[in-house]
Amino acid sequence: MNGMTASTAFWYASRATGVVSLLLLTAVMVLGILVNRQGRLPGLPRFAVTNLHRNLSLLAVVFLVIHIVTAVMDTFVSIPLVSAVIPFTSGYEGFWLGLGAISLDIMLALIATSLVRGRLNRKVWRAVHWLAYASWPIAFAHSIGSSTDLQHGPLLVLAVGCAVLIAGSLIWRIVAVTREVPRAQRVSTVMARSLVAGPRQPDGPGRRSAADPAATSRRPTAVSRSRGL
Amino acid sequence: MPLRRGEDTASRSRPDGLPRLLPTGTTVPEGLREHLARHGFVPYRDGRLQLAADLRAAGLTGRGGASFPVYRKLEAVAGAGGRPFVVANGAESEPASSKDASLLWLAPHLVLDGIQLAAEAVGAREACLYVHETHGNQLAVAVQRALSERWPARIDRVPVRLAGAPPRFLSGQETAMVNLLNGGLALPTFAPPRVFERGVAGAPTLVQNVETLAHIALIARYGAGWFRQVGTQAEPGSMLSTINHANGSVRIIEAAVGTPLRSLLAADLGTDGTDGPAQAILAGGYHGTWIPAPRAAGLTLDNAGLCSAGASVGAGVLAALPASHCGLAETARVVRYLALESAGQCGPCLNGLPRIAAGLAALAGPRPDRRVRADIERWAGLVLGRGACNHPDGSVRFVRSALTVFAAELKHHERGVCSATARQPFLPLPSGTAVTDEDWS
Repeated sequence: MNGMTASTAFWYASRATGVVSLLLLTAVMVLGILVNRQGRLPGLPRFAVTNLHRNLSLLAVVFLVIHIVTAVMDTFVSIPLVSAVIPFTSGYEGFWLGLGAISLDIMLALIATSLVRGRLNRKVWRAVHWLAYASWPIAFAHSIGSSTDLQHGPLLVLAVGCAVLIAGSLIWRIVAVTREVPRAQRVSTVMARSLVAGPRQPDGPGRRSAADPAATSRRPTAVSRSRGL
Repeated sequence: MPLRRGEDTASRSRPDGLPRLLPTGTTVPEGLREHLARHGFVPYRDGRLQLAADLRAAGLTGRGGASFPVYRKLEAVAGAGGRPFVVANGAESEPASSKDASLLWLAPHLVLDGIQLAAEAVGAREACLYVHETHGNQLAVAVQRALSERWPARIDRVPVRLAGAPPRFLSGQETAMVNLLNGGLALPTFAPPRVFERGVAGAPTLVQNVETLAHIALIARYGAGWFRQVGTQAEPGSMLSTINHANGSVRIIEAAVGTPLRSLLAADLGTDGTDGPAQAILAGGYHGTWIPAPRAAGLTLDNAGLCSAGASVGAGVLAALPASHCGLAETARVVRYLALESAGQCGPCLNGLPRIAAGLAALAGPRPDRRVRADIERWAGLVLGRGACNHPDGSVRFVRSALTVFAAELKHHERGVCSATARQPFLPLPSGTAVTDEDWS
């Protein structure tokens, strides 16, 4: 492997930011699935998970811009700037760069609709946001196909790790959906549980003296839709 | 038609005294002919907001429970830009209230006149009357018949369609209603946008209770001065009230605002609240407030009077709880119902109300743990002010007043004694809760 010189700096920068982008987009995807199911991260309130999802996606865009600009500026291979957004227009690795362009276009649509979400019909926003599930695999294919870096060694392990994480999140999401309590039964489910568990059962003979840690530490536990109650 | 436009209403004698809204001595709907003979033609003003000044002078406030000044709502809707929409809210969901259903049944044309006048005042070209489809849909059928009498007689300028409300406690809530009329479920949504900015089909929407509209129809005919002949200076006019007596009978009466509760509930309170069958009065329905009978005997039916007891007029529901029934058990039953009627959308309501209900069920039973009451107080504080709609706040108001008013009974329960002699439920509750989304549509 050659050392980094002025002429290869762009090339290395492009490859490095590409890998970071893949990691960030994987994190954004996992967080997005978590937000959708109203899941939580340890130590974070729900709104923080939502904000993390949004902020990491914006950070990923920054890395993607550097990834694209450095790839275009690099003189070793010739990639026209339009190939970043118009698929299959690059002479170099036309197919694999085309996938990257498609993925980028979807991401731009996701971000644009999210920025104007307040002025948009919720159904339109949702429909566009579903495309995220197409965007990640296409970006992943672009990562594997257009670079030899990810095809072996530690970076291959990293790429496989990302894929496993996404697959796991998707399975978790599907399981969470099937376990979801229908809206109309949510209240009665909490109700049934509250009545069974009681806030506290009336003290029977001999119970009062017994130290019952559950009785003193009992707090209203949040019912999470994602857990299917 | 015997009566046409132009026949002035001034020559018709102004109805003095009460009732103003309900025709007396009848249980069948008033037909168009009798209605016109009683009140004359709809006094259209031929212009936007012409009526608002009269309504302002009359001091009319909303009779659906919030007591909001009607003229301000009209101005907000008319000034919101775009072509407004008018909804007459007849979906009275309070189980202990039946004044709106009675008004719509007995005097449908008064309400329909009010819809036309309100639509003219805000410049609406469409209106909708939202009613429950209970009792074999009798009410909706009767109102539809009244509507079909008016259109060929060219009384209505704006077409009015009927919309059915699902039998849920929250279906009359403003945003839930708009959600349903827009093709969704009758579940409350977050405001803003408030419905007067963006409501039915995105149009600025005027939502008025049907009784309020009937008052509008009378003020437009007889004037603000006439309206103020009864009532108090601060809260003029009359109001319909559903009175659930201690002996189990239910009466709809029209009373001047500010009437002493002692005269409305004479059979329940006795002379001073201590010598009647009632131990406590529930004012304002199931989002309302319990008041001890002796205290209630000194109050009047207006917000100024009731607020000293932490209560408000609401939609005019009064219920007298007989001393033979347990106030804690009645409260627990009602709160269980309120919890089950939660839309289950906001966490504090979804998680809080069932726990409060379970806590109250424990308090209603023998020898409750002394900590349960503190738990309920804490949960009540966690729920308050955190819902998209008023449901958690109203429920908590009801619960807190019960814990105060029935504190002596709670002491009895802690010793394992209940002072009630009657075991059968007293306060009316509908049967059935939502099982699928269909039950909200």
